Amino acid sequence: MKKYQLGEFEEIVLLTVAVLFDDAYGVSIRKEIEQKMNRKVSVSALQTALRRMESKGFLNSRFGEATAVRGGKRKRLFLVTPFGKEALEHAKDTRIKLWESIPSIAFDFGK
Amino acid sequence: MAGARNDTPPIRATKFLRWFCKHEYYEDIQGDLEEEFHYLAADSTIARAKKWYRWQIIKLFKPSMMKKVKGQQELETQNTMFKNHLKIGVRNLWKYKSGTIINTLGLALGLAAFFLIALFVKDELSYDKHHEFANQIHRVTVENFSMDGELSRHWAFASAGHAERLKEDYSAISHAVRFFLWAFPDIDYQEKKLPSQQVVFADDDVFDVFSFPFIQGNKEEAFREVFSLVLTESTAVRIFGEDWEKQNIIGETVKLTAEGNEAPFKVSGVIEDMPQQQHFQFEYLAPMRFLEGFFDEDAMNNVGGNYNWLTYVRLEPGTDVQAFEFQSKEFFNKYMGEIRGRDASEFYGFKFQPLLSIHLNSNLEGEIQPNGSLQQVYIFSIVGLLLLLVACVNYMNLATSHFSRRMKEVGVRKVIGAGQSSLLAQFLTESTLITVLSIPLAIGCVYMGLPYINSFMNKELIFSLTSNFELILSVCGLAIGVGLISGLYPALFLSRVKLLKALKGESTIKSSRWNFRNWLVTFQYVVTISLIFALLVIDGQMKFIQSSDPGYTRSQVLDLGLSRKVSNLDRLKRELLEHPNIERGSYSSRIPTGRLADNWGSQFYKADSLVPTDFRMPCIMVDEDFIPTYDITLIAGKNFEEGMDMQKDSTGYYIINRSAAAAMGYPDPVEIIGEKLAYGPYNGKNLGMGRILGVVEDFHFESLHSEIVPMVMLKTNDNLRELSLKIKAEDIQTTLEFIEGVWTQHDAENPARYQFVDELFDQQYQQEERLATMIKVFAVIAIFIGCLGLIGMVGFIIETKTKEIGIRKALGASITNILYIISNQFFILIGLAFLLALPVSYWLMNDWLLGFEYRMTISIVLILMPLFLTCLFTMITLGMQTMKAAMSNPVDSLKDE
Repeated sequence: MKKYQLGEFEEIVLLTVAVLFDDAYGVSIRKEIEQKMNRKVSVSALQTALRRMESKGFLNSRFGEATAVRGGKRKRLFLVTPFGKEALEHAKDTRIKLWESIPSIAFDFGK
Repeated sequence: MAGARNDTPPIRATKFLRWFCKHEYYEDIQGDLEEEFHYLAADSTIARAKKWYRWQIIKLFKPSMMKKVKGQQELETQNTMFKNHLKIGVRNLWKYKSGTIINTLGLALGLAAFFLIALFVKDELSYDKHHEFANQIHRVTVENFSMDGELSRHWAFASAGHAERLKEDYSAISHAVRFFLWAFPDIDYQEKKLPSQQVVFADDDVFDVFSFPFIQGNKEEAFREVFSLVLTESTAVRIFGEDWEKQNIIGETVKLTAEGNEAPFKVSGVIEDMPQQQHFQFEYLAPMRFLEGFFDEDAMNNVGGNYNWLTYVRLEPGTDVQAFEFQSKEFFNKYMGEIRGRDASEFYGFKFQPLLSIHLNSNLEGEIQPNGSLQQVYIFSIVGLLLLLVACVNYMNLATSHFSRRMKEVGVRKVIGAGQSSLLAQFLTESTLITVLSIPLAIGCVYMGLPYINSFMNKELIFSLTSNFELILSVCGLAIGVGLISGLYPALFLSRVKLLKALKGESTIKSSRWNFRNWLVTFQYVVTISLIFALLVIDGQMKFIQSSDPGYTRSQVLDLGLSRKVSNLDRLKRELLEHPNIERGSYSSRIPTGRLADNWGSQFYKADSLVPTDFRMPCIMVDEDFIPTYDITLIAGKNFEEGMDMQKDSTGYYIINRSAAAAMGYPDPVEIIGEKLAYGPYNGKNLGMGRILGVVEDFHFESLHSEIVPMVMLKTNDNLRELSLKIKAEDIQTTLEFIEGVWTQHDAENPARYQFVDELFDQQYQQEERLATMIKVFAVIAIFIGCLGLIGMVGFIIETKTKEIGIRKALGASITNILYIISNQFFILIGLAFLLALPVSYWLMNDWLLGFEYRMTISIVLILMPLFLTCLFTMITLGMQTMKAAMSNPVDSLKDE
């Protein structure tokens, strides 16, 4: 269990990186999350989550191209590792399992 | 683009980001930010974009994004190395279990002994320090001088009239307070009766001189009314019960009864219990104004004699006490004028004792409670430090041996690339580990030992982590310091060893060579030998005292202290003697084991011409039964007879001791019988000329600390304060009950106070007895630590010499040969230690013995005894371990490769 420790925000970031496959870098990830999830994300929070998951081994990164709009700075492109995928699956499975084990009566709010 | 300058992100924010952000993150994060900045600038305004950009950078300013501080990297490596050292250290401790146990135990014992002594010393030094004006408070003590200007008595108390006059006459005295201990009144509260409570009357200044914190009431109100009574917390509990704080006890009336007088007192305040570390302990305080009504004016104005008033003054800050003492010389001239044609100040003088020095330095006549002894504090401090040193030295020794086992490890580490500092760090970590282990053990020992020390030294020392925090902290610091220092030597030594040598695993400590370790062992032996020597001398002196004949019989003699209530002395004695087990009774002013303090001066006539007596000759007042009751030998003349009374008869009668006869110029006591002597004046009356009736053999009236002085016995009915009863050994309990029964018929108020003279005799040497026992315990600890060290050392030596022993045995060496090889070195060290220890300890102990006027001689046997004992202990310790090595089969040791 400990092995796949993944916070809620981390999970979202990780999923987004997977969604954006091959074009997942700071700006695009932030935009994606802000649009799809309709929540504000600061650069700081995002970068912290990314670096942390990278050190945990859920993500890999490489440098991409540099563009003028970036003032000649290169992008850092993120990619989900197989281990990251396992973590995501684990998170998903546990949730599904939990969903499945909810007795139907629990959500039957007496109508 | 027109406003190119304007649509770049804020430069300073970028610079800031570059300054703090990790180098490897900076590029892409700044790129992201800049990219979004431009999008935002296009979507809305540049100002908003700038604001956003700055805000994002501020949010990024957090540790996970920051560069490592300079040195942080290094620190992290060291942390890892430290963890490694710790792990290796723990493994090594586990591997050499016996060594670890020996080492931890030795150090813990040393630390515990040091702790205990430190607690005791700290307690002794903390007396009276809690008073706010402690440095300004002085006790007024009175000195009496004899006719020839010699100091004859020094009293802890002053006269009734001193305090007030001193305060009036000298501006340096801002406050003065007298304490008077009234005859232990009974206290009644409702149905409760508390017999003989210690009520002390004090002047109103008392709360300005001493700091007694009030729990209820305050110092301004406390003595406002004459009939006020200030309680301490524990007496409040005694009278009103545990929940006194909830009752409104201020203003409650309690009744004091004493000597037929009765008075209602109002409780006006409750102060905290007086701390143990105070040289007086009072339970109730009441205003002196009440008592003044009981004494006539003359008594209250008395400035010479009647020293019953414990007097303290608070001086203005910065008063030079010595100059002040000198100045107050005129005091007695002013109030007493001339005595026998000379200034009163030639006979009386003041001393102003600093409050803080009373407990350890005073010991005057009539001290309110027994004082401590500075000498004892010194001795204990030295012993404590020595023990700590022994434990440390022992520790260093063992650590050195222990580390030199690991030459190969050092070699391998060096090959891998460990530098000297890394090796050093490793050994230091390991050596500190043991000290860290020993601290809790030491604290446990202190907890166990403390009750014994307390009951034995009559103290209430407390050891707790909160109240002794500083002490514990300092001892922990010390222990870790010990670990570091003792690790340093082997660590430096090992880390410097040449690589090849180390890899070969050669024993680097050649046991035959003289090295630092030998000095350590020698030091240990020096302390052990000195302690054993001290122990033997103190013990010997105590035995000497016990067995020496004081010149009187002390067994089966009971001393009954008289009270003022007993009026008919003849009847009391007669009634007591009716009991078959009471053989004899004798009244006297003082009894042997007391002090010879009454000295009135004398004139001696040799064949009718006056011979000046220029020596001190104190007296005691006795009846005719004194000499037979104490079995004092009469060597010339006769004893007193019944009916003689010096004050009534025209001729006096004196019995003197041999020393007095000799001092008057009569080596043969027979010749002095019948010569004339005038003793006195006493109580204003001259006892007149009398004849010397008899001479007794010298006996030790005072303790063996002091010399036998010339003394004289007078027969009078005055001043008889003690009744000595010679009783039979059988059925002592019923005899005592009988005595108590008779006593109550004569004095129903005061309980009978009695004590056996042989107990009193032993009490004279209580301090020495305590010292002897303490030294005994600590000597045993020192020897024990030393033996532990030896076991460890010898084990190591044998280990390094297994092969040598094997080869020697194979070549035909006998067991004794091998024993000799291993142990001879130790005996050389003992010899050296003996030579070093002897002069110092001989000098110290001789100095201690000089405190006794009658003492044993230090014989050669006594000097050699410590040497012999130390050799014996060493031999036993060595023998056990060496025998095993010497008897082992050489094959086992030689095949080991």
